[in-house]
Amino acid sequence: MVGMYCEKIEEARESVHVGGRKAALEALEKFRVQGYASTRNKLKGNVSRLSFYIRHGVLGIREVAESVRERFGKSYDAVKFWQELGWRQFWRHLYGLWGDGVYEDREAAKVPLGNGAEEELPREIVEGRTGLVCMDETVRELVETGYLHNHARMWFASFVVHFRKLGWKAGERFFYRHLLDGDPASNALSWQWVASTFSHRAYLFNRENIQENGGKEWCERCTAKCPFDATYPELERRLFSK
Amino acid sequence: MKTGVWLHGDSLSKEDPALRRHPEARSVFVFDRPFLEKAGLSFKRIFFLYESAVEAADEVRVGETVEEILEWMRQEGVERLAVTESPSPRWRETVERLRQKVEVEVVPAEVMVTVPEGYRVKRFTPFWKDLGGEWVDGI
Repeated sequence: MVGMYCEKIEEARESVHVGGRKAALEALEKFRVQGYASTRNKLKGNVSRLSFYIRHGVLGIREVAESVRERFGKSYDAVKFWQELGWRQFWRHLYGLWGDGVYEDREAAKVPLGNGAEEELPREIVEGRTGLVCMDETVRELVETGYLHNHARMWFASFVVHFRKLGWKAGERFFYRHLLDGDPASNALSWQWVASTFSHRAYLFNRENIQENGGKEWCERCTAKCPFDATYPELERRLFSK
Repeated sequence: MKTGVWLHGDSLSKEDPALRRHPEARSVFVFDRPFLEKAGLSFKRIFFLYESAVEAADEVRVGETVEEILEWMRQEGVERLAVTESPSPRWRETVERLRQKVEVEVVPAEVMVTVPEGYRVKRFTPFWKDLGGEWVDGI
């Protein structure tokens, strides 16, 4: 398989997440839906981490939904979880309609973006050397494990596209290369959702949002001048004024 | 006619719909070398696929997908192929190429909600409002 993956052979490592149906069924059985709705946005919240199994058909989407129904019945948490599974089917639906069109801007951007000419993200970003602990740790986790919580994906994508004014396509390629659940439609259209080329508005976050959903540990270790430490109106003025 | 099942990147399970329809069939998964050389995926991704593929398929091969499947069919004495549907354009193109050589049965993929033929919507909120009820209210 040498030559078929992007790392040097001495850097090639397997993920902590194990492939195969046996591991998938164990993970499914361990997942409890209680608390999903109220904690799923927190990095340490009760999310299923089944996305890579569902993405590759190791678990069926209906199989997962039914497992939750059979074990926990219909509850607010279960309904929210099914809705998130619904997103996966939504992306699949759009992929069937648009095919490789998911890699092109679906709509005009609602805010000023960079020119998107980059083929790849800058090395300091993909090597986790920006000095911003939250972003560098996100990259480290992605590269080491092949998985990121959805909120971390959104923060990183917003950082790349809006704070650094880099093109979403370069970010999309970086994620696709590493995410075990990397799916063309889900990945490309989620980057476009952040960029505002597949949504009504751009997605922004600030330091308060990171601390609320990711905890304060990153910020406490960080010595960089924080570009995220502002209110949303301030950020919009700073990032989106022409 | 002896049927074989092609398992691909969206269907890496012994519970794959095509395999469920043909439980006695032998199955194959192919790491598509031309695609992977271009895609530059991480080792972790490929290893995860490998772990899933060896559990799911009777044989795992590396090479150009259509060539490898046809070669596998010859070796196994398989005359027709069954495969689970995927929205991927690469999947569609591969099925078209296979159909020039052999009979291919496409088995519908497992879905959570039924999307009507010709249904068009580009935001999730109306999608789930229109279709999610089949799942959420129907139980």
